[in-house]
Amino acid sequence: MDELELLKKDWQKNDKDYPKLSYDDIYKMILKKSSSIVKWIFIISLLEFAFWGFISFALKDTKIMERFESYHAENIMIPLTIAGYVILAYFFYKFFMNYRTISVTDNAKKLMENIIKTRRTVKQYVAFNLIFLFISTFVVLGIQFNKDDRIVSLIDKAASNGELFKFYAVTILSTLLVLVIMILLFLGFYYLIYGILLKRLNRNYRELKKLEV
Amino acid sequence: MNKELEHNFVELLEKHQNIIHKVCRLYTNNYDAHNDLFQEITIQLWRAYPKFRGDSKFSTWMYRVGLNTAITLYRKSKRRISTQDFDEVQFKIKAEDYDDTEEEQLKLLYKAVYQLNDIEKALVFLYLEDKNYKEISETMGISEVNARVKMNRVKTKLKTILNP
Repeated sequence: MDELELLKKDWQKNDKDYPKLSYDDIYKMILKKSSSIVKWIFIISLLEFAFWGFISFALKDTKIMERFESYHAENIMIPLTIAGYVILAYFFYKFFMNYRTISVTDNAKKLMENIIKTRRTVKQYVAFNLIFLFISTFVVLGIQFNKDDRIVSLIDKAASNGELFKFYAVTILSTLLVLVIMILLFLGFYYLIYGILLKRLNRNYRELKKLEV
Repeated sequence: MNKELEHNFVELLEKHQNIIHKVCRLYTNNYDAHNDLFQEITIQLWRAYPKFRGDSKFSTWMYRVGLNTAITLYRKSKRRISTQDFDEVQFKIKAEDYDDTEEEQLKLLYKAVYQLNDIEKALVFLYLEDKNYKEISETMGISEVNARVKMNRVKTKLKTILNP
């Protein structure tokens, strides 16, 4: 006899062996809160949006920004700030729309795809922020080289000592190093959080995709 | 949510609760995990219930939500069952009506099924529940041909586990 047929016979026979939950037991359950990964993805995504929103907000009144304002680089800063908010709104809208398509009554593959799509939006937003951070740091550095009195005098001093190249190299490389460390920290954090949260989903999705080949 | 909706849902679920128990039986290996997954499936069913149109049977709808919760949404880490863990799932296997050889074979079969991955288990589950390939393919989101091919592979895999 086919093994699975034997199993099926037993499987269907054992109906009475399962625990029997009462009406009240089930009623109590529907009042409890879900701990599904979709809920966690939603919370973490909102925190990510909040985090990057907070960063730009928190920087507003700092000494660095006050000094930066003295450079009179409004023609660069104002468009950048507006672009930042427009992009945030775009990603947030896209995230929300994707989140709404997640339905537990879809087929397994579609459900997994919609969750992955929602995640991808937030991932893209974070990637955008990291790239933005990278570019804007160098834009700021460029402005400082030209407009910051303290740095301009340092450049003049270095030029008179014949160490202009060394000055530029050290400043740019150390900025680069700080950025790379920051980005690596972010990626490490990502790897940890989503590695744990989505490991199973990704594995099962790959398994379903494999069937199509 | 109004009281009538709640009442209807709980009554339906009470009647069909075995479907959830069966999903939990396949995807968990102890009482706590079983109850935990049962609760999560119940919550997911309840949240989706207002959209349940009744154009499919409640039980058919339960299979889909139950499996989706078990293989996609459930957060608690699930240990791959080992021989030691297997003792814990003995409570789920009652084959007293069979003779010794058949009972032994069934034990081995259940043990082999626990070693399958999540997707393979889902296919086996639907097969054991006597679902046809059309229903299996619709629940999993794969084509009917692929469902058949995969099912045959699962059968072969089970044979290999049983006769290494």
